[in-house]
Amino acid sequence: MFAKAEGLLRAMIGDQANFRPGQWEAIETIVSKKQRVLVVQRTGWGKSLVYFLATKLLRDQGSGPTLLISPLLSLMRNQIDMANKIGIQAFMINSANRQEWEVAEAALSENKCDILLISPERLNNERFQKSVLPEMAGRVGLFVVDEAHCISDWGHDFRPDYRRIVRILQMLPKGVPVLGTTATANDRVIDDIQHQLGEGLIILHGALDRETLRLQCIRLAKQSERMAWLVENLPKFHGSGIIYCLTVPDTQRVTEWLKRNGFNAEAYHAGNDTEIDRPALEQAFINNEIQVLVATVALGMGYDKPDISFVIHFQRPGSVIAYYQQVGRAGRAVDRAYGILLSGTEDDEIQDYFIDTAFPSIQSMREILDALGRHETLSFDELLSKVNIARGVLEKALKLLEVDGAVGTAYDGKPLYFRTPNPWQPDTERIERVLALRRAEKSQMQSYLDHNGCLMEYLLRALDDPQPKPCGRCANCRGKGLSRTVSHNLVIQAENFLKGISIPIQPRKRWPFGLFPEQKRVIPPELQNCPGRSLCYYGDAGWGKLVRSGKYSDGHFADELVEASLRLILHQWKPGPSPSWLTAIPSRRHPDLVSDFAKRLASKLGIPFLPVLVRTEEAPEQKTMQNSTMQARNVLRTLSVIGNVPSKPVLLVDDIIDSGWTMTTTGFLLRSHGSGEVYPFTLAQASGRNINP
Amino acid sequence: MILSSDSQVMLLLCSHLGLSSDPDTAPFTLHDWNPLARKFQTRSLRPGALLDLSEQDLASQLDLSNDEAGRISRLLERRGSLAIELERLESQGIRVLTRADENYPLRYRQRLTDAAPAVLFYAGNRELLGQPGIAVVGSRTVDQVGQDCAAYIGNACAWSGSVLYSGGAKGVDSISMKAALEGRGTAVGILADSLERAIRVPETRAALMRGDLCLATSYSPNAGFSVGAAMGRNKLIYALADYAVVTASDVEKGGTWAGATEALRANWVPVFIVDYSDMPEGNRALLKKGGVALPYPFPIDFAKFPDWLSAQAVQNKSKPTQLGLF
Repeated sequence: MFAKAEGLLRAMIGDQANFRPGQWEAIETIVSKKQRVLVVQRTGWGKSLVYFLATKLLRDQGSGPTLLISPLLSLMRNQIDMANKIGIQAFMINSANRQEWEVAEAALSENKCDILLISPERLNNERFQKSVLPEMAGRVGLFVVDEAHCISDWGHDFRPDYRRIVRILQMLPKGVPVLGTTATANDRVIDDIQHQLGEGLIILHGALDRETLRLQCIRLAKQSERMAWLVENLPKFHGSGIIYCLTVPDTQRVTEWLKRNGFNAEAYHAGNDTEIDRPALEQAFINNEIQVLVATVALGMGYDKPDISFVIHFQRPGSVIAYYQQVGRAGRAVDRAYGILLSGTEDDEIQDYFIDTAFPSIQSMREILDALGRHETLSFDELLSKVNIARGVLEKALKLLEVDGAVGTAYDGKPLYFRTPNPWQPDTERIERVLALRRAEKSQMQSYLDHNGCLMEYLLRALDDPQPKPCGRCANCRGKGLSRTVSHNLVIQAENFLKGISIPIQPRKRWPFGLFPEQKRVIPPELQNCPGRSLCYYGDAGWGKLVRSGKYSDGHFADELVEASLRLILHQWKPGPSPSWLTAIPSRRHPDLVSDFAKRLASKLGIPFLPVLVRTEEAPEQKTMQNSTMQARNVLRTLSVIGNVPSKPVLLVDDIIDSGWTMTTTGFLLRSHGSGEVYPFTLAQASGRNINP
Repeated sequence: MILSSDSQVMLLLCSHLGLSSDPDTAPFTLHDWNPLARKFQTRSLRPGALLDLSEQDLASQLDLSNDEAGRISRLLERRGSLAIELERLESQGIRVLTRADENYPLRYRQRLTDAAPAVLFYAGNRELLGQPGIAVVGSRTVDQVGQDCAAYIGNACAWSGSVLYSGGAKGVDSISMKAALEGRGTAVGILADSLERAIRVPETRAALMRGDLCLATSYSPNAGFSVGAAMGRNKLIYALADYAVVTASDVEKGGTWAGATEALRANWVPVFIVDYSDMPEGNRALLKKGGVALPYPFPIDFAKFPDWLSAQAVQNKSKPTQLGLF
């Protein structure tokens, strides 16, 4: 069988090819012994080769097709092409390619599909269960679990769907081999996977060192300093690379800054920005049509571009495992690559936010279960209108509750959620354990920044590499590296850039589900707001910090903010027809804060400030209203219009915009009372709900 | 839910899990399964051993034709989809019991022997299956007498701590079950279809979660209604109880008649027939066939009903039973 496998290997990647250490061992354990194997090898080692060859050999023995479960299928196209070289027919089923399902089903029923690639959530999908599995007649010849570290709570990227995979493998009768693969798992993660998948699991653990990679850490407190550093240092790198940021707004700012400085850069993230075509960006980057991809972790697992020559982190990632996985994308097929970690003062704050919002609160989980418990089934929107929980949190909580077996889904044109009779208790111990781990990982990364020994060795030790040793390549080993200082002039430019960017406010066009059950959800166009602007992101570099201290320390917004707003409105935004009066969202809690700012802005603009809006009762703070229905309801209940509303265009001012429902409903009220166009303007946009990748 | 390899094999061979509605290779009916189970016994084999046998080994060790061995081998191949299906069911609150399971209801083994279903799906409190109790059988459409009977028996069960057994259908079944559960009694519903849907009804779900209710079926949890299944499950209701009460039956037709005459022939439990002046013809006929009369209006307060049943019941020794068959 070895000779046959070697022949296939050569057919696949070339006449001279030999197995790398560990590859044949893995294949043999799967094919001959039908056992369960976990392969821990760095990316690029050739894990896909193991499952392709194993599939081929098993299929030739008459086994059923391989079922490969991977969280990132869009990036496996080129692997499928590779499989074709040895006559393996691979098909893919995910939520984005419904039109291809029938082709896959037909191939399965004719036994022409050798390997079926699915995303983990397919496993619980009704169509998959009802039509795909029966077409295979259930003949799974080999289970492949890609990115197997996601199984473990201890992994940096635990995914609830993987708990389902574990239970499936626990129920799987013997005689069906299983292959788990990961590039990033330390001993604790491996032990946990072994514990969950059973003692029979065989571990094949290779060395993780990447011998082309040169590491360096540079602390630069301010974003403007790091932006200046990028402009100074990017020209020193050859080839293409990735700049990782922690948040979506950061990727957008850095990209814009780099573009203005003449770099070929694009932002890549999973924010709800329709302009981002991720597959197109991935492809353009692979073709080297883009030099720098400025990405969040959305550019994640499985992304395989061999000639990346630098990975720069604009901010510090949350854990060594995450960092190594990202930096390890560089230098696969180039002789020399750089992994530079920049770190600033905002890193801790952002990481703490990620940790604090990692789990929906127990109270939210109970609220969801109570609402579901009162009904047979509820659609997502129906459920959202019955609980005071943000859309994103509800999605996350439902997924957790589903994997816990407390919530099930049925499908009737759209997913319907229901409470199952399974008991549910919050696993507070597990949550605490995971959060404690996240904090420990954070401090391990903090120590990495200040480590003065070999940086690669530090990372490899943290990953429990079998043989860590000094690399001789990193900035600390060589005693030199890229510059740690930046030109003062560039920093000033970057600061001006940060203060000069404004953020659009998109008008909402539909009421939330369940707000006016009797009416259409479309807001009549003549009662909608016009597009608006915000000066900055709340608390961010640029003006954001000044807005925060104005709101929470000084109780007064500085004149600089009035000046900056004026410049934005008159010189950048230039709304037309231009507003001829101004009003502000009233607050009982802080009656003067916004109106005082609005009056100063009105006088600078030379238009009257008219207080036509009043709070009829103290409204709960809008930020405590967690979803659209609740937010819009809250505004409508507590806000009304008094006095004469001019029929001219108006600038509607508030300090911070979050969901946008205050602006939408207030604009609706103003226009219903006869005002002209409503232009919303706020000092800041809350980035909290937009911070996720 | 960690299943023994015996149960895994029984699910692979005897259930539709992971198969299409019209599969190329049909799973085993009881009629197919029982002879195979006997072969295991005479050879001192456990069903789980099949997982290690090749198609050739199957044919030679179990003395099977090539066709039979091929069929078994194809059914056994769907291990992957079995695991995926079981996980999905479990995450919805549905679990399985097989005849190879030591928790399988003893009364089915003893009373139904070969006719005991190979596989049961259930939600809720499994321990209720086979606890002392009263089965109620009748039609989906009920008159005043039917309603009175149903409520009376439900109350009697709640009061006395007996399990109320029914088919979990509309009419007599649901009225009696509601009465039992509202009185904080316990109930078992043996469904003919749609277990997955039944457990989503809020009151049902609440009772399942309290441990007061078990819903079980020998059909696929997502099976739709079929007359055959509704008939076939009658014996599963009778065989769990200590006494059965038939509220109303047609004569020589319908599920109630078929189930009651079957129960009277098999003599699993004493079968009481509600007896009143203008009772349906079926009731009269069932009394002639050996049903015990339960006069209406009822002769006794519901609190004492189980004692009354036990005094009235003609004690029939059940037949000797064959145990240990998978």
